[in-house]
Amino acid sequence: MSGHRVAAITRRLLQGFRRDRRTLALLFVAPLVILGLLGYLMRSSSVPAVGVANEDQGPLGAVVASALDRSTSISASSISASDGDSKLKDGSLAGYIVLPANFSQQAQSGVIAPEVHLEGSQPGASSPVLQALQQALGALASQAPGAVRFAPKVTYLYGGPGLDTLDYFGAAAIGLIVFFLVFVITIVSFLNERSQGTLERLMASPLRRGEIVLGYMVGFTLLALVQSIEVLVFCLAVLKVHNQGSVLLIFGIEALMAIVAVNLGIFLSMFARTEFQAVQFIPLVIVPQFLLSGILFPVSSEPRALQVLSDVLPLTYAVSALRDVMLKGADLTWPSLDLDVGVVAGVIVLLIVAGSATLRRRIA
Amino acid sequence: MSDEYAVDVQSVTKRFGSLQALDGVKLRVRQGEIYGLLGPNGAGKTTLIRTIVGLVAPTSGTVTVLGRRLPDVDVLRRVGYMTQQAALYPGLSVEENVQFFAAIYGADADVREAIEFVDLYDRRTSAVSTISGGMKQRCSLACALVHRPKLLLLDEPTVGVDPQLRVQLWDRFRQMADSGVTIIVSSHVMDEAERCQRLGLIQYGRLLAEGSPDEVRATAGTQNLEEAFLKLAGRSES
Repeated sequence: MSGHRVAAITRRLLQGFRRDRRTLALLFVAPLVILGLLGYLMRSSSVPAVGVANEDQGPLGAVVASALDRSTSISASSISASDGDSKLKDGSLAGYIVLPANFSQQAQSGVIAPEVHLEGSQPGASSPVLQALQQALGALASQAPGAVRFAPKVTYLYGGPGLDTLDYFGAAAIGLIVFFLVFVITIVSFLNERSQGTLERLMASPLRRGEIVLGYMVGFTLLALVQSIEVLVFCLAVLKVHNQGSVLLIFGIEALMAIVAVNLGIFLSMFARTEFQAVQFIPLVIVPQFLLSGILFPVSSEPRALQVLSDVLPLTYAVSALRDVMLKGADLTWPSLDLDVGVVAGVIVLLIVAGSATLRRRIA
Repeated sequence: MSDEYAVDVQSVTKRFGSLQALDGVKLRVRQGEIYGLLGPNGAGKTTLIRTIVGLVAPTSGTVTVLGRRLPDVDVLRRVGYMTQQAALYPGLSVEENVQFFAAIYGADADVREAIEFVDLYDRRTSAVSTISGGMKQRCSLACALVHRPKLLLLDEPTVGVDPQLRVQLWDRFRQMADSGVTIIVSSHVMDEAERCQRLGLIQYGRLLAEGSPDEVRATAGTQNLEEAFLKLAGRSES
């Protein structure tokens, strides 16, 4: 063991990094970006929005309603019971609570049964609502004489208590896995084309840039489609992930995501000189997209500034589309699904154009 | 211009930032000629070749190839280009590589002939990653000529090639030139220069001297090309 030789290796390593400013920057910038994003998302995630319809003719409904208002685990607003369902559907509420007309009477008789309507497709939004209600009803204990039993009637618009964590995340994961793997394979093989010199040869041939990009796209898309089928079958048949929509539609959305990933890979490979640099796009491009896509934190609970960012990332739309189909049973007659699919398709066109345009400039 | 010239480079200048890669190069290559570009590493040989295949757009000046003014994608159909490194797909076999380039140029029928021409028919099913460096070079040549180009550009095709194979490759070049193909070949091996009909000496992006090997020797007043080259290069430096 020679300390001198070990030091030579260490020195050589650090010297190399000195020239590769980009890797160095990544090493120190990426952790801040990722952790900052994560912290920002976790700390400032807003609490679920809950509507409260107090129809009680007695005094107790108002007590519960104001207790809900003060609750910190939800953000309560007063609504009328008839508006509730439409607000759940358009996503402005995670749930609403109806305190019925005979609420005070119920309390006297010992069993109170408020109605709780939950949207149900967002993990983590349901339990704070129920908790807040429990606490608010606790405020009654001091007001009502005798023992009072709480028996809230809970209904779910989508999904329900039968859904587990995998059902919630499975829908998004189907798309995400395909997206990530296809991206990595594309960016590395396109880079190979560059480093082994064959791209130079192609550029000196009558091939047009668009032909190269499209050829790559079709090739990798074929591979990705086979992978998509495998992932889908495994999730639905083996893992039994909840699905309420058309399997063909899920496959279609997955295929679109794969095409986005291929084109993103081709486009970004223009900005990498080495495979090492290509892999660096994962923490910079894929991880923030993953965090902001709504997979873990609903986009609507993100801080404003991040919502804007989420709204321009294609993964957000793909995740929303997959969840709509699998958890809510959406089909193409839903305007929200059409919007999601349309945006993803638009991003594909944009990336193909951008990829072809950068190709020649970056050949050298 | 007349069709007599396969390549006509007029006052071509190329800058990469502060680097003057080509400085007013004027060069004409006749049809069916083997034209050798000589010069030290970094002289501008590769840049000049890449300019002629349209990979580099000149900062100023014009390039006309086979009667077509560049940039022109269609003329590339009749041009073959062999890069310094054997640019091949290592995961494909010899035959699959040649087939690929044939398909791009729409010359699918000539794959077998091209492989036989470079004596690789017996190894046609071997993956490129498993064959020797010399075979890779030959496979690369097959890819560059499978579409029967009228103009073939070879960027140091014999670097790292043993003398025996070098002779073999040059026989092939000669054979093609005899059938009317124009060949521009860059090199810094002087015995290869002897095999060219005309030579262009490049240094610092400028064409220093031009002519047949005999003319170059006469200009420099030396016995062999190597001395001639050193003398001419030194003259420009002072």
